[in-house]
Amino acid sequence: MISLAYKDIRHSLLKFLITAMGVGMLLGIVLIMIGVYRGMVTDAQVLLDDIGAQEWIVQQGTLGPFAESSRIHEDLKETLRAQLGIDCTAALAFLNLQVRTPSGKMKRVYSVGYDPHGLISAINPQRLVAGRPLRRSHYEIVVSKKLGFSLGDKIRLGRNIYTVVGITKGAVSSGGDPVIYLSLKDAQNLQFLYSNARIRNDRARGLKVDADNHLVNAVVATLRPGVDPEKVAARIRRWKHLSVYTAAQQRDILTKNVIETAAKQIGMFTVILVAVSSIIIALIIYTMTLEKIKEISIMKLVGLPNLTITKMIMQETLVLGILAFIFGNLFAHAIWDKFPKRVVLEIPDAWDLFGIVIVASILSSLFGVYKAIKADPRAAIGG
Amino acid sequence: MDRNIETKTTGISPKNPPSTESSKEPAGPKGQSGIRVEGLSKIFGSGDSEVRVLEDASLEVKKGEFAALVAPSGAGKTTLLMMLGCVTEPTAGKIWLGDELVWDEDHWSIPDTRRIRREKIGFIFQAHYLIPFLNIIENVKLIPLSNGWEDRKAEAKAMELLEYFDIADKRDAMPSQLSGGQNQRAAIARALSNEPQIILADEPTAALDMTRAVNVVKLLRQIVEEQNVAIIMVTHDERLLPYCDKILAIENRKVVTKTQVPKGFV
Repeated sequence: MISLAYKDIRHSLLKFLITAMGVGMLLGIVLIMIGVYRGMVTDAQVLLDDIGAQEWIVQQGTLGPFAESSRIHEDLKETLRAQLGIDCTAALAFLNLQVRTPSGKMKRVYSVGYDPHGLISAINPQRLVAGRPLRRSHYEIVVSKKLGFSLGDKIRLGRNIYTVVGITKGAVSSGGDPVIYLSLKDAQNLQFLYSNARIRNDRARGLKVDADNHLVNAVVATLRPGVDPEKVAARIRRWKHLSVYTAAQQRDILTKNVIETAAKQIGMFTVILVAVSSIIIALIIYTMTLEKIKEISIMKLVGLPNLTITKMIMQETLVLGILAFIFGNLFAHAIWDKFPKRVVLEIPDAWDLFGIVIVASILSSLFGVYKAIKADPRAAIGG
Repeated sequence: MDRNIETKTTGISPKNPPSTESSKEPAGPKGQSGIRVEGLSKIFGSGDSEVRVLEDASLEVKKGEFAALVAPSGAGKTTLLMMLGCVTEPTAGKIWLGDELVWDEDHWSIPDTRRIRREKIGFIFQAHYLIPFLNIIENVKLIPLSNGWEDRKAEAKAMELLEYFDIADKRDAMPSQLSGGQNQRAAIARALSNEPQIILADEPTAALDMTRAVNVVKLLRQIVEEQNVAIIMVTHDERLLPYCDKILAIENRKVVTKTQVPKGFV
């Protein structure tokens, strides 16, 4: 039997391809939206994975340091190191800052303060694309490549000037902001002694101005081999009156508490886009069927069975869906890296979308099939 | 009736008449009933809006007979043709196609009217109505393939018909690339492709100039004689009537056989 769908598509190939490209771009946006969500989840875990700690110790009753503000004393790292099962500890300070980039634009960054001489480094050496990690306790900075700085550049932050000694790639905060690394002391200075005017003002008010208050946002710990993180966490919670999260719990906090709303928002957009794509496919197929209604009437008049006509419409819809899916993938892969935030395109997501497109195409074709089955063969001759 | 038809002068004269070897059901000897209708009525609407198109109409066209159907516009020619073609349901009466009773008073007596159309009837229309996205040979072999013919057999039949109609060289052309006359010949080839027992032609020459119209009617005449099919052709053109064996006219909602058509009737 002649493939009527193939013949019809070939007859109006350009129109069909342009239509498939249009729908494909829409599906490409759906893939990008899913990729943005995946990117948010990935971003949220970058710092967690780079630091590589197994326990996160924060202020009691808080979900810190990423989901909620937390302040604890720096010397807790020494006390905690003495706990059974703990191998190394480090104190960390986190702060959102605005940095003037070499192009003159102000850019929001997420600063991580850590002890360059400590046993746990916040910098993942694999992310270093130039220079080195921090070695001195003051006035050195490691920046993200996204900011556009070069090694040796000077950056003014608060009251001090810092020299770029290293450049990383891909280090971002849970919000997708580029990460800069400072020594813990510099980070504390930035938190509490940000400007001379502020210091003078505080002194005039009779407040004690002291950078050496030794407050940090979290203490992290690595464990000895074979130690159960949950048991260690429970012990610290009980005796030290602190909140402790294992790496897995901190990951949960980041994905559920920090990015949950944004993820839901993107999820809603994705669902709406899929629905809109399905409606558009249905409308296109319906219009394509209407355009062929005369031919369909002739086919019915000369006796072609409904099955032949239905097959033609369904096959065309499926081809449209498959082509649109291919175009959508090409489109998504062509533009994903142009987005300011991380977009992660994963093959399982693409296959899920493919399944949705096929089901949507089949359902969409039912409108066209209904129209074709209802077509009056007498319409072929205007009778 | 003028039977002295010079087929050699038509320009579309047959070289090799198409065979009927592959026919599932031979057309049968001449004189057998092709189409028979008894007491056929068709009423559209009901109550105040009721329109009676045909009432107690009867007719018969035998195999090997070429009948013209004439009537003023709106008299119900196309409606009658559509009822004979198992497309429109009559209100009452009986229709036989060959020996098969297809409409029995108030219902189709066959389970699948489309199968009857596909297997027994060939349709020719005012316009060619070829499927625009199929080339000429695909258009011609579409119905045989739907009837379950093998592709090779359908292709051979289609080529035979295209050669018969002198358009074999256009087999791969699209309908949009052919002239009106060539398309109409392809449409007739399509109507013959399923080796029908009956051909229903609804003003097949209306869109053609006189020369081409005569050629098409001569061709139909030839098909009647060579393939022993029954043809009913709706026409408004008196000049084509001499090529037909009988003239059926719709008068007062009945079908009557005429030997002469009153002036201005068609």
